[in-house]
Amino acid sequence: MNGSRASALTLAWRLASFGPRGYPVVPIAIIVITTLLAVFADFIAPHNPEIGVLGERFKPPAWQAGGTETYLLGTDHLGRDVLSRLIFGARVSMIVGFFAVIVAGVIGTALGIVSGYFGGWVDQVIMRITDTWLAFPALIFAIFLAAIVGPSLTNLVVILGAVFWTRYARVIRGEVLSLKERDFVRLAIVANCSNWTIMRRHILPNVINSAVVLASLQLGIVIIAEATLSFLGVGVPPPMPAWGLMLADGKKGMMAGYWWLTVLPGTCIMLMVLAANLLGDWLRVKLDPQLRQL
Amino acid sequence: MKRYLVKRIGYSLISLFLLSVIIFFFVRVTGDPAVLLVEPGASQADLDAVRQQLGLDKSMGVQYVTFVTDLLRGDFGNSFYYRMPVLELYLSRLPNSLLLAACAMLFSLFIGIPSGILAAVRLGGWWDRVGKIFALLGQSLPSFWVGLMLILFFSVHLGWLPSSGSGTVWHVLMPAFALGWLFAAAHMRLTRSSMLEVLGSEYVKLARLKGLPEAMVIAKHAFKNALIPVLTLAGINLVIMVNTTVVVETVFAWPGVGRLLYEGISFRDFPVVQVTVVLCGAMIVTVNLIVDVLYAVIDPRIRYE
Amino acid sequence: MRRINGPLALFLGVALVILVATNVQAAPEGQLVWGVHFSLAPTWFDPAETPAMITPFLTLYALHDALAKPMPGNPMAPGLAESWTVSRDGLVYEFVIRKNVMFHNGAVVTAEDVKFSFERYRGTSAGLLKNRVAAVEVVDAQRVRFRLKEPWPDFLTFYATPATGAAWIVPKKYVEKVGDEGFKKAPVGAGPYKFVSFTPGVELVVEAFEQYWRKTPAVKRLVFKVIPDESTRLAALKRGEVDIVYSIRGALAEELRRTPGLTLKPTVVQGTFWLSLVDQWDPKSPWHDRRVRLAANHAIDRKAINQAETLGFSKLTGSIIPSSFEFYWPAPVPAYDPGKARKLLAEAGHPQGFDAGEFFCDNSYANLGEAVVNYFKAVGIKAQLRPLERAAFFAQHREKKLRNVVQASSAAFGSASTRIESFVAGGGAFAYGSYPDIDGLFQEQAKETDRKKREAYLVKLQQLIHEKAMFAPIWELGFINGAGPRVQESGLGLIAGHAYSAPYEDLALKAR
Repeated sequence: MNGSRASALTLAWRLASFGPRGYPVVPIAIIVITTLLAVFADFIAPHNPEIGVLGERFKPPAWQAGGTETYLLGTDHLGRDVLSRLIFGARVSMIVGFFAVIVAGVIGTALGIVSGYFGGWVDQVIMRITDTWLAFPALIFAIFLAAIVGPSLTNLVVILGAVFWTRYARVIRGEVLSLKERDFVRLAIVANCSNWTIMRRHILPNVINSAVVLASLQLGIVIIAEATLSFLGVGVPPPMPAWGLMLADGKKGMMAGYWWLTVLPGTCIMLMVLAANLLGDWLRVKLDPQLRQL
Repeated sequence: MKRYLVKRIGYSLISLFLLSVIIFFFVRVTGDPAVLLVEPGASQADLDAVRQQLGLDKSMGVQYVTFVTDLLRGDFGNSFYYRMPVLELYLSRLPNSLLLAACAMLFSLFIGIPSGILAAVRLGGWWDRVGKIFALLGQSLPSFWVGLMLILFFSVHLGWLPSSGSGTVWHVLMPAFALGWLFAAAHMRLTRSSMLEVLGSEYVKLARLKGLPEAMVIAKHAFKNALIPVLTLAGINLVIMVNTTVVVETVFAWPGVGRLLYEGISFRDFPVVQVTVVLCGAMIVTVNLIVDVLYAVIDPRIRYE
Repeated sequence: MRRINGPLALFLGVALVILVATNVQAAPEGQLVWGVHFSLAPTWFDPAETPAMITPFLTLYALHDALAKPMPGNPMAPGLAESWTVSRDGLVYEFVIRKNVMFHNGAVVTAEDVKFSFERYRGTSAGLLKNRVAAVEVVDAQRVRFRLKEPWPDFLTFYATPATGAAWIVPKKYVEKVGDEGFKKAPVGAGPYKFVSFTPGVELVVEAFEQYWRKTPAVKRLVFKVIPDESTRLAALKRGEVDIVYSIRGALAEELRRTPGLTLKPTVVQGTFWLSLVDQWDPKSPWHDRRVRLAANHAIDRKAINQAETLGFSKLTGSIIPSSFEFYWPAPVPAYDPGKARKLLAEAGHPQGFDAGEFFCDNSYANLGEAVVNYFKAVGIKAQLRPLERAAFFAQHREKKLRNVVQASSAAFGSASTRIESFVAGGGAFAYGSYPDIDGLFQEQAKETDRKKREAYLVKLQQLIHEKAMFAPIWELGFINGAGPRVQESGLGLIAGHAYSAPYEDLALKAR
């Protein structure tokens, strides 16, 4: 490998992942930009993302033969503007991703702390439930839940949250077990602090880092899960724009040469997930070097 | 040790029992298979006949008792859709799933372990980055999309590989890759962190002090020890692969357990769903059990937990 | 005798040519492979278990034969029965069975087998058939009589069409020997193809039965492979791994049409799709107003949706009843007129449109729902699409739990009367409410024995449904299939209303 080329690549990489002063500039930038798009979608998007003109369907991006400037990134199978859908899709995907991770994190962390702190039969019950949950194929569970509660954004968040909490519970419980042996927790117990106070004041702050690292790593998994559920027909309800749904819808166009229907949302998902992963890796090193089995 | 083992097995059985109860009632509240076994708009009489044939006209309690007593007698029931023994169906699919999962695991380790080692040894080097990005990409792309891209490129465009089905070595390549890539990142991460830990340990330092060449230290001392947790995770992931590969199996028309389960759910084929979920659960629980017991053997402190 | 004279030589020569020609044609050759979109089930190998669905006929047409069944150009063509007669009082149907027709195991088809198959039948409408048939009598090996309890003009409609599987004949001796379970594992029938192997969820293989009475099949082996994903099916067709694929929609169908060497093979099945406006009986709902329901009808550009989703191969309709059904009245297809739709909405007191709540559909047809919701929004009917997973959708629809707008469909066999019974008349399985005038007429027609009068009732009923704009009918689904370059005759579309390839003995590969 040519030396100068390799070093140029290294430099590019350094800028991309851990810019000056070791901050992951590009991942943060991706997440910030996506968030901005999500928040200001109404002002940025040129078209209504949910209404299309059937006669204008499958228009390629503007720079390709047959494309028009009205639809910069082309149109989909119902003649909806892909650019607008991507912009609004950022909102839906972020909502699903973040809230699902938060729901899962809250359930898992709470159960993990309770389980680890109380021990005994409480621990047994919670851990048996966790084991059972783990033995239940996650996607299958999601399909069931979707069938019961029906598809909507809120339900999807709840479903994904309900599927992905087990990991937090196990990791956090382990941490709590070792925290319990530490002096400051023992002192608090001796000082007759209430269980609630101890868990809130002394334990939670010490496990929150692990939860955050886990959450950042799971963000990607959740976004991919959203896409997969859409592929199976139980994800974000159409015509709502979400990246995963766009990808699942667009797959039929792949063979017909409508590449923009899959490559564009696919790239968005990929960038978002990569960013979340790189950020998670960085956070892990920064916050919690012991946490390795993730 | 013996007491620990008995306790652990007891817990596993409780988990499985819970699983069987949950799945039994869960699958029944989410839909009516009779409705799907007739054309929409078919007469009520047809519907009732199907319900009666499937034993769905009885109360849920009665159905559960029948299910459990049959199970204890070793009768896993008949599929509503295929009308043949579920166990037979399951066993006919299992080898395919195992084959796919094994090949996928090979791919995944083939990507994950070298990139993980390189990442640990040449921390921050160029190969570290490429390997890491490649591994992470697998996790960043939905597997149905990867699968379809593979089909488009290798089957339709180049014409090298068959698009779907099973039977030859060529058939397994693409689904195994699509599935294995998804898991590569996890294996890379673990290899990397476990290598880093081992490389910082006393005996590696000792080996270096003895003047052994670095390559030798890495290959012989570090790698061997770092591999244990990776293989453990691989074992668990293998079981997960067997059971949850619905998407890859659907895209490649691969006749595995995942699709059996998915079809079972789509048609509310209660016996198929119940048996498949319980058997999958048994596999996962067993592997977890083995892992826990092995760790207890290696690290005696865990026993008192 | 040294010299053979001219005419005789000519005669012998021609005879030889014919012999050789028929021989060449007689030996089945080659293999045809299908990419099927769903898993085949062994229940479909046994006609006795035919459920109320069209899918089992995919396998029945290959393995078995019926006394009478739909064939090209004839919805009730003589099969194993070469003819039948009805007694003057309408109580006795006598079938004459074709001579020397063999099952795959060499046994000859006799009247005993017909009687046995009928008595053993337990599939759809079995109860109905058995209630009305007093006895099946074997007259001799070639003749069998069905004696009805009372006149039933619809007997053949139920017996000798895909409405049931009762007329499909299985070999009595063989079934008694192997039992029901054994029969499903190794079915033997009188059809053009005999069973070779079956792997659930993977494939079914059948082989030509050279002694088939109608003709010797031209293709030696048929393989039905399950390929659940639509894109993968098309990829397999493009690559030549399969020769015929079922169910290709939208952009993929366009790609199929564009690809050189591949042929588009649409079939129109009797599956109608429509919107059920289930809240129309609630006085507080906007849908209570006929003008709103009409507006919904005029808001949808059916033609454009048809072009986009099924390349224009679906049949647009103004009725929920398939046009092939008995007593069908062709309701006019509502014109696409968004201006008129908006005007109607304004007249009904919704100048700014209204919030129509949820729009329920089965998630395998979410694309259609998406397009309709798109058009609704354009005129101000703001509906939120709620695609439900298939099992949940049908269960909830039957329990009448769905609200607002429901995208319904039905491919069930029957007549105008059975459809109205299920979806329109009070108490129907899918009727969320009803109108007294419709219910009254429906009761009348059910009692009517005179065909002409009954038809008049049913036409009047359909006109009422149309006038009230009870539904927003969309189309009779065009089912798009594809065939590869090796296929001479795919059998698709040969039999009216049949979704799959049939009759299998007519299929042919191109000469190399």
